Amino acid sequence: MSAPRRSWLLRGKPLENRDEAPPGGVTEVVNDGAPDIEVVARVLGGDGEAFGILIRRYEPGLLRFATRMLGNPDAAADAVAESLVRAYRHLAQCRDPGRLRSWLYRITGNRCRSHLARRHSNDISLSDVPAPALADSSDTWAVLERGEQVALVERALAALPAEKREAFVLKHVEGMSYEEMAAATGARIPTLKMRVHRAREALLAALEEVVR
Amino acid sequence: MSPIDQRLQEALDGERDPGDLPTDLRESYALLSAAAQMLKAMPPVSVASRVMAEIRQNPAPVQSEGPARRLIRWLRGGRAVTVRLRPVWTLALAAGLATVLLLPWSDGLPTPGVAQGIAKFVGHFPGARSVEVVGSFNDWSRGALALNDDDHDGIWHADAVLPAGQHEYMFVVDGERWVPDPLADRYVDDGFGAGQQNSLLIVRPVSAQP
Repeated sequence: MSAPRRSWLLRGKPLENRDEAPPGGVTEVVNDGAPDIEVVARVLGGDGEAFGILIRRYEPGLLRFATRMLGNPDAAADAVAESLVRAYRHLAQCRDPGRLRSWLYRITGNRCRSHLARRHSNDISLSDVPAPALADSSDTWAVLERGEQVALVERALAALPAEKREAFVLKHVEGMSYEEMAAATGARIPTLKMRVHRAREALLAALEEVVR
Repeated sequence: MSPIDQRLQEALDGERDPGDLPTDLRESYALLSAAAQMLKAMPPVSVASRVMAEIRQNPAPVQSEGPARRLIRWLRGGRAVTVRLRPVWTLALAAGLATVLLLPWSDGLPTPGVAQGIAKFVGHFPGARSVEVVGSFNDWSRGALALNDDDHDGIWHADAVLPAGQHEYMFVVDGERWVPDPLADRYVDDGFGAGQQNSLLIVRPVSAQP
């Protein structure tokens, strides 16, 4: 099993760490265009179509976040759609549109937690996560190797308790600072750091078990 | 599961150069980095059209709607009415507000139905230019329910006919400052901001009043 680890090492990139607020305040501009605070003002001023700008800006990350939290793309799409509609209806309640990104993740995180609660478990069922593909001579080694690795990582993530899974994903997949994570989850920064640290330990133990 | 070496945690938190790590920790760093990279793949789906269709079908009231129009729409909304009981007020505001609370503020309101009551909102905001109430009962819409301070003593008040049950609400002072009611019966997490709370209003139907 040394080959997979070698290839992972070759692909490894530095983890995202952004512990300071984005420059120019906290307004997050993912696409070119007006800052969030201006788009929010347009929507609240009656231009409902402008909400589409915010959807295009944040939908990909929200879908990815929800998919990692729920382990099921269909459930994640439902959670994000419900969250965005709810965000639109309550946009006037967003007290700091400059932190819209955190606010949207907060709403989506709440929807994901509700979804998990309905399943009577905070954990993803491993049956929701595809098992690693078995080698097949009809496929290229590279494709199979990548597929196996992704499935292994997804299963290791799914095995984490929801709070640690959320902390790891927000930190290292969505690239949030701890301050943004605090706004997105309502948890305190020391608590979030502890969750991230514990998630790393669990993930590393699971992955090393496989690739050792 | 054993604790990760603190140096590795620091590198993963961006507080230490991963190049300075010993070889075994560098491998662990690379393993976790690669795992995170794999999880960054974007789902090949979009809910944008679905969300926009929902929004176009049921557009939410936004701030562009005038206060009078909002108030008319809200009052015509077929809501039930409730009476709000706030015994804490009378204790907390004893002397200063006691007289004010006894004023007949309900004049001019529609007669509450069986499952409705009259909610009395009172707040002490000296120097405020405007105070309004937004809440779950009016879709958190600005401009729908303004408080008045006709005698300029800093005590703002308004009555409203509301459905029986629980309602979350906030005061909006001077059009920009959202504040919970310091004398609310209860508070609940607003589900949006970090640790922010909404005030909770519990309204009893008029038919249940003694």
